[in-house]
Amino acid sequence: MSLLKPFSKLPGLNTANILLVESEEQFQQSLADALVEETAVTVNVRLAKSLPLPMENEESRPRIDLVVFIINLTSELSFQSAEASLKYLDPGYFLGKVCFMVTNARKASAPTERLDAVRKLAASLHCPLLFAEDQTPDGVANATERLLTILKVSAGLVPMATALYLSNLTRCTVPPDIDQPSFD
Amino acid sequence: MDDSAKRLLQRFMRRIPTQMLKTTLEKWSRLTVAQQKSLDFTQSKWALTEALLDICEENKWTTKHISELEMIYVIDNPNQGMWHAFQLMDPEDDAHSVELTQFKEQFKSHLSELIRHVSVKIKKHTDEAVWIRIAWGDSYSRPNHLKPTYVVHYLQTPYVFVTSLTSKQKPLLSQALVLSTRHHAIKDANLSGKKFTAIRDLLMRQYQQAFPTKYPSPLKEKNQTVSNPLIEREQAGPAANRLQMACEAFGDGMLPQLQSAVYKLETKFRDQTNKTMTEREESFRCVVKFASTNLLESLRDCASSGIASTPVTPLLSSIPLKGRNYFVITDNSPGPSSQMHQKTDG
Repeated sequence: MSLLKPFSKLPGLNTANILLVESEEQFQQSLADALVEETAVTVNVRLAKSLPLPMENEESRPRIDLVVFIINLTSELSFQSAEASLKYLDPGYFLGKVCFMVTNARKASAPTERLDAVRKLAASLHCPLLFAEDQTPDGVANATERLLTILKVSAGLVPMATALYLSNLTRCTVPPDIDQPSFD
Repeated sequence: MDDSAKRLLQRFMRRIPTQMLKTTLEKWSRLTVAQQKSLDFTQSKWALTEALLDICEENKWTTKHISELEMIYVIDNPNQGMWHAFQLMDPEDDAHSVELTQFKEQFKSHLSELIRHVSVKIKKHTDEAVWIRIAWGDSYSRPNHLKPTYVVHYLQTPYVFVTSLTSKQKPLLSQALVLSTRHHAIKDANLSGKKFTAIRDLLMRQYQQAFPTKYPSPLKEKNQTVSNPLIEREQAGPAANRLQMACEAFGDGMLPQLQSAVYKLETKFRDQTNKTMTEREESFRCVVKFASTNLLESLRDCASSGIASTPVTPLLSSIPLKGRNYFVITDNSPGPSSQMHQKTDG
């Protein structure tokens, strides 16, 4: 079992590296295509279905600055896979270098319990939770922009800001009455 | 023109889409050029029906002619209704020499020996298929042309495809078919679907098939979705492997459109935590049904995306391999301690 560590390698000059983890491997491709369009910094994208990452790529893999778990809310498998992958991350990542991205949250077929479970998971790990629309080009562009903002900070490219500082502001919080039955 | 012919024509007109009416009537080639011209295809269906009824009345056409028209339409649009496949067994020595005229005569005479009121129409389609339309009656009633059975047989092959056949008529049809094609028996091929072309292609292997030896190495040239040097797949190897496994099981081309696959389980209930169920003598019966608009494509996608485990289980890969979509799964050996060895049978 190889643990992915945030500081085991040296950073590259003006480079940010992002790892997209999605069990369905659908949205990550379009997201990756949009992410590498960024011109201000060089963005390296690594795509994975789940963690742990294979050992043989260890050498060629750059330092990963941000890990994004993409969860399709309509699929239980997608959530379980992300949950199982989490334990292959070094605890250091949870100081602002992990975020969750949820798709299909507006679909009626997505049970609300699953969204609650994702929110609890993100809150317990002090990670931000983003919502994205994966079907439209606009939605992909939007999601890309949000990820780039977080990525630049966590890669140390924004002066005076650190990943830990940002995550204190953006991390997901769960309302205390999430388990209470609603009255409406 | 009697009442039943009228009703048949009306029903036919209800079924056929207006844009297909013209070509179908042309193929029927019973209308004169003047009559063709007199029909205005921009009119409503009701008006067209009335006009056609008048023409039929004029020419004293009967049910026979109208059913011909219906048959032309069904042959051109076979993907309707539920089609079931049958397979002829144990051919006699001269089975391969059966030709159309002989088959026609024999089939008609055998069937009319078995049942008095029956109306059979046989037509040879361009692709070697013999289309048979059977309107059944019983001992007291005339053949009901509103609910015909369609049978498609490819001469010199053991395959027969049937739609809308009741269990009462099945033995009659089976016997007539077996005798006229010079075989000894007929069996259910355990394949059914809404698309006639799909089940025909699957059973007669008329689609791009999977040959396991065709893919000695991972499909490198097909895997070039990642072209940007900045994007890298961490698990490209396993993904290519899964795709290869999926292609080995289902092939990589277009697949026939099957709608469902049914697995009937007659196995023992095995769960160590549930003693009462596990120790029961009778087998635990349940039916598992997979349904999709294109089942084989879905299964291939499940395997290549990793939702289903690879290598593909023989239970799934035997759908294209054996050309059937109904399976009965039974235990090999009795007893609760036996292993999970299962065989497909049925």
